[in-house]
Amino acid sequence: MQMRKATNYLLIAPSLLLSLLIVLIPGLLTLLVAFTDWDGVAVSPSFIGMQNFQEIFEDRIFWKSLFNNAQWTIMFITVPVVIGLLTAILLLRRKRSRSAYQLIFLFPYVLAPATNAMLWLNIIFNPVSGVVGYLKNSLGMSITSPLSSVHTALYAVASVDIWHYWGFLTVVYLAALRQTPGDQIEAAQLEGCNSWQLFKFVYFPSIKPTFSIMLVMIIIFSFLTFDYVYLLTGGGPAHSTEMLSTYAYTFAFSAFQVGKAASVALFMSIMGLLASCLYIWLSKNDLKG
Amino acid sequence: MKKSLRMAIGTMVTVMMVVMLVACSSNGDGKGKDGKEQITLWFWGAPPEHQTTMKQVLVDKFNQSQDQYELVVEFRNSVDKDISVALSAGQGPDIVYGSGPSFVIPFAKANKLEPLDTYAEKYGWKDRIIESVYQSGTVDGKLYSLGNSLNTEGIFYNKKVLKDNNWEVPKTVEDLEKIMDAAMAKGLYASVTGNKGWKPVNENYTSIFLTHFAGKNTVYEALTGKRKWTDPEIVAALEKSAEWYKKGYLAGDDYTNLTFNESIQLLADERAPFFFGPSLVFQFASQSFTDDIVDNLGFIPFPTVGGSSDAPDYTLGVTATLSINASSKHKDGAAQVLDMMMTNEFMNEMTARWPGYWGVPLKDLKLETDKMSTLSKLYAQSIYDMIDGVNKGNFGYYTGVFFPPAAQQAFLDIDSVWQNQITSQKLMEKAQAEFDKDVEKGLLPPIPMPAQ
Repeated sequence: MQMRKATNYLLIAPSLLLSLLIVLIPGLLTLLVAFTDWDGVAVSPSFIGMQNFQEIFEDRIFWKSLFNNAQWTIMFITVPVVIGLLTAILLLRRKRSRSAYQLIFLFPYVLAPATNAMLWLNIIFNPVSGVVGYLKNSLGMSITSPLSSVHTALYAVASVDIWHYWGFLTVVYLAALRQTPGDQIEAAQLEGCNSWQLFKFVYFPSIKPTFSIMLVMIIIFSFLTFDYVYLLTGGGPAHSTEMLSTYAYTFAFSAFQVGKAASVALFMSIMGLLASCLYIWLSKNDLKG
Repeated sequence: MKKSLRMAIGTMVTVMMVVMLVACSSNGDGKGKDGKEQITLWFWGAPPEHQTTMKQVLVDKFNQSQDQYELVVEFRNSVDKDISVALSAGQGPDIVYGSGPSFVIPFAKANKLEPLDTYAEKYGWKDRIIESVYQSGTVDGKLYSLGNSLNTEGIFYNKKVLKDNNWEVPKTVEDLEKIMDAAMAKGLYASVTGNKGWKPVNENYTSIFLTHFAGKNTVYEALTGKRKWTDPEIVAALEKSAEWYKKGYLAGDDYTNLTFNESIQLLADERAPFFFGPSLVFQFASQSFTDDIVDNLGFIPFPTVGGSSDAPDYTLGVTATLSINASSKHKDGAAQVLDMMMTNEFMNEMTARWPGYWGVPLKDLKLETDKMSTLSKLYAQSIYDMIDGVNKGNFGYYTGVFFPPAAQQAFLDIDSVWQNQITSQKLMEKAQAEFDKDVEKGLLPPIPMPAQ
């Protein structure tokens, strides 16, 4: 028994060590730095209490970023989820061709964000040589790139990210839908269920754990989103696409205010923690069972 | 599992581990393959043809000039961030490429950079380099960086577009506005420019409006604490920038959708009469103003409101700074490289093949323009003129060079004023607050005084 215990500890040691080194220690350091004026270089930062938090709470760009993150979350827990779910249901009945469809839908997801962003920036949104440029210059349409307006930029960036992401959700939902027990489906059909009832009473309860965890993951990722925003607009124009992540990044790498960046990062972590609590709450019945 | 398969897997794992260990092991003494001491320089991800130029003019020449050192240049797209992270960790290249004096200050204060005063004395840099640029590289009286090239804001114009439309080269801001109005009426862009992919492009327009609309002395007084950034003249300059943006003078709706490269191409394609931007844009012009149309390109300094066209003001800036890493084991060699880059010979060779990025800030600049292409000549002339103007004190300030980091971030938000997200007054209140904090931390570079 003792030997077995030792072996168990030995086996989990590498992952524990990794978690300690790359999660716990940096996490604790971030927590500490958030209360200092560290510039990322100095060896002896000063403790400044809550000043960083006070300053970011007084900054309109912080609230703008938070609002943008909230908008982003709402867009991501609705649009790609609906598209993904709908497509997965449609693919469920296409037994022969669904592999090919999954491959096609997953293609944007497997491409590097930089590639996708360059593709959209240069082929679609470019006002000279892109689709926008063609519509404007060759067809004479009164059109400008949606990235240039403070009113549309956020939606344009979100559209690109959703375009890259929904295929992944389709594949995940399809995999979950396929796990629905066949006898339940048959029984429901025999009882005369229509398609909506079949989805509502048989398929959806079956995929609910997958659906819940994906929902929580989307919320967490929405508060961490960085790549497409940074690549497409850098948070502009006029902070209209600023996210907490890009806001923190500017503090850390451009303004030499790493302490302030850490306080924003801490705030982002709290959002993630809230999403995790939501997941626990959603799945509490399953956990009890 | 068969024994042979287990052996094969075992061998593979062993080979992989050996390869990984070899790959991860660093050459502790920093020696190159032929026993020379290796000096490293990380540089921005310049286009391939410019990388070749740098290799031939700097790397090969330096390596052939002596037997002790071997210079190795790495081109990195994220050089600023890479250097920040590496220096903070006490690592990084021997020669530190930085985005300007205000970038250098925190690292100098944290002893991550080597003071260069000994080398400055040895090589006579103080006598060779323009005083204001030399001073901008000092922190608390010690030299920590050298500007690699002068950089100023100006107007690139297409001579053919002006000629075809009977427009004269503008001498005043009023001339400029009249031509831009007429250009837009003809369906052209008033000017082309944009910050796509690089938000700090905004600093060019902050610099232009501060220097040429608020005035160099007003900005000097604000930088030295004699005025507030909320001064009506400064706020009015920002208001003017918003007026220009809203009128469509800054690439119309496409400011956020164009890069400098695309903008200069549009200028070459006769889609606009002007491009307002830094002189480093000459390096992009070489790709769009090709042989047959190279004579169409013109460049003049930006006019100042109420100023004289015979004695224009120049926005004083440098494209980058060069320092020596405090943790470098080859500081003497790195200083030799810096010294080589601060010469007329280097400037001539680089400018002949890479105009726009190597206007070395030498007091005694001697350019052999007869050996240069039209574009290089035009750039060389602009640098000559700038040095003359700067020596006479006719200069304003490039925000990326003379403004401390957090205040600079506030000034980069000029597009928030353009897009009605904040008023000029509010933005300047924020800038003042950040500026005060930066000054308190000692992050303000030395500010040279302009002529009255």
